[in-house]
Amino acid sequence: MAERSDAADEPAAPDRQNALGSSGGGRLDDLAAFFRERPRLRTLAVAGPPYAILVLFFAIPLLAMVVVSFQTGDIGGPWTLSNYTEFLNSDTYLSVVWQTLLISVQVTAIVTVVGYALAYSIVRFSRRTTLLLLLVILPFWTSYIIRMYAWINILQSDGVLDSTLNMVGLPALSLLYSEPAVLIGFTYVWLPLAVLPFYASLTNLDSDLIEASKDLGAGPVRTFASVTLPMTINGVVTGIILVFIPTFGSFITPRLLGGTSNIMIGMVIENQFKSAFNWPFGAAIGMVISVVVVALLILGTRLGGGLFAQGGEES
Amino acid sequence: MTRGGRLAGLFERAVQAHASRMAAVVIALVIAFLWVPIAVLVFMSFADGGVLSFPPDKLTLRWYRVFLSNDAALDAIVTTLTISVPATVVSVVLSTMIAYAVNRYVFPGRSWLQLLATLPIIVPLVVTGVAMVLFFKGTLGLPDYISVVIAHVIRTIPFATLVILPTFLTFDRRLEEASKDLGADELRTFWQVTLPNIFPGIVAGGLLAFTLSFNEFVYTYFVKGSGDPTLPVYIWNQIRYNVTPEVNVISVVFLLVAVSMVLVAVSLTRVELLARR
Repeated sequence: MAERSDAADEPAAPDRQNALGSSGGGRLDDLAAFFRERPRLRTLAVAGPPYAILVLFFAIPLLAMVVVSFQTGDIGGPWTLSNYTEFLNSDTYLSVVWQTLLISVQVTAIVTVVGYALAYSIVRFSRRTTLLLLLVILPFWTSYIIRMYAWINILQSDGVLDSTLNMVGLPALSLLYSEPAVLIGFTYVWLPLAVLPFYASLTNLDSDLIEASKDLGAGPVRTFASVTLPMTINGVVTGIILVFIPTFGSFITPRLLGGTSNIMIGMVIENQFKSAFNWPFGAAIGMVISVVVVALLILGTRLGGGLFAQGGEES
Repeated sequence: MTRGGRLAGLFERAVQAHASRMAAVVIALVIAFLWVPIAVLVFMSFADGGVLSFPPDKLTLRWYRVFLSNDAALDAIVTTLTISVPATVVSVVLSTMIAYAVNRYVFPGRSWLQLLATLPIIVPLVVTGVAMVLFFKGTLGLPDYISVVIAHVIRTIPFATLVILPTFLTFDRRLEEASKDLGADELRTFWQVTLPNIFPGIVAGGLLAFTLSFNEFVYTYFVKGSGDPTLPVYIWNQIRYNVTPEVNVISVVFLLVAVSMVLVAVSLTRVELLARR
């Protein structure tokens, strides 16, 4: 073999070369020995590649967005605050941010109440938890756009909802391209996502505490308010974060279900990148979204939300 | 007692008497809310007629035939697969490395690695999408295909890691100790003991990464240029500009991919782990 004759010519490390030439297993042993003697290199070999890829293709692009947001029309131009002043001086954009906030708060409230009721019902009153959880999360794994399209089928005039209402003698609602349609669409896509942290925190809740509360004379409402809810607040905050953040940045749902009338800030970014081609201005709006999101995350962790802590529990 | 207090008392008694029935109603209503739209999609894929009106006059397989002879839609599926398959492989390898490093080694920057692997879930998709197009196109000048594959890798790493990491924890470490006592090195132990044991978790992580990548829209939409659309981008264009009932058929394709992948993944790992995306 060519390798072997090379090895014979190489007197510096005869043992290693022999191992390399002998067999696959020998090569593996050899590599293992090499790394055993160098634990830091071994760690670097395992952690380094994913680290490098996440930094280069995720962290640095986000930093690049910060840089670009301080430039004008041409990327690479001089530094300026004009994107931000343009944004902050425009009543239109500010009212869009306000409207986005309102929609996001409403969606988060609806999803939290419905999702918590569902998680509570499953944990306390059902034995088929795995099947029910599967039924909750399965819709979540199909394409987001497809799920919105399903609602177009239902909500459009002449669609499933209006036809059914007509059949039972009720007036049509023609909900498509209205704010209720946007709220329904968001509730539909985020409900499964919120149920999981609610479910996890309710499962961890010691049911003896609930019994104790009842033994002490508290009714179900009192027990819920003074025991169940406070004990599961981490899961609630996590769910709220998981729903609020994607809603705040969304453009698909308002575009498909809200038509052009209900404008959210994500749609403005999409416009800047896909129609207006003003990337620096789009980047600046991306920064505005990020600032809102970071502020909320900090608030959430203060309130005991455990997005990272929960990730830690799972890990 | 105030009127409000009496009402609360009534409510409490109602809850006490009918709690399990109320729970059953909540579960039934919410599950129906989640599944009726999907049932509608499947049903409407058999509806005759060019416009989407309900109820359809008659049922037909016509739109399935239209779909099967639509080269643009089939090309979009092929385009999606040429992105999703390599992205899934890369993502699973990287996620396994992250899980192994975080679980086995203590090193400076370990918590940063964990944070970086989780953060793509939290940062709004539109922000990351915008950041990627600026950096991949504006700064690096990467070609379309490479950019989209990288974007899909970043998108799927958090989910694959969240599924793979716990399998390292539940795995009996004494098997590894035994392997090492018998003289095997760390690398050989990994190949012959660790990997076979965590393999179900890795497959589950891979299936979910694939499903996510197959459905991925926002990153793709921003990073991708004017080249061939992936299936979600194709659907987006159809819905926005000319809806035909054929879109219902393509929806069924998405459904079948998602349901089959997730069911196999669930058979391999815990259902709670699959919900993060």
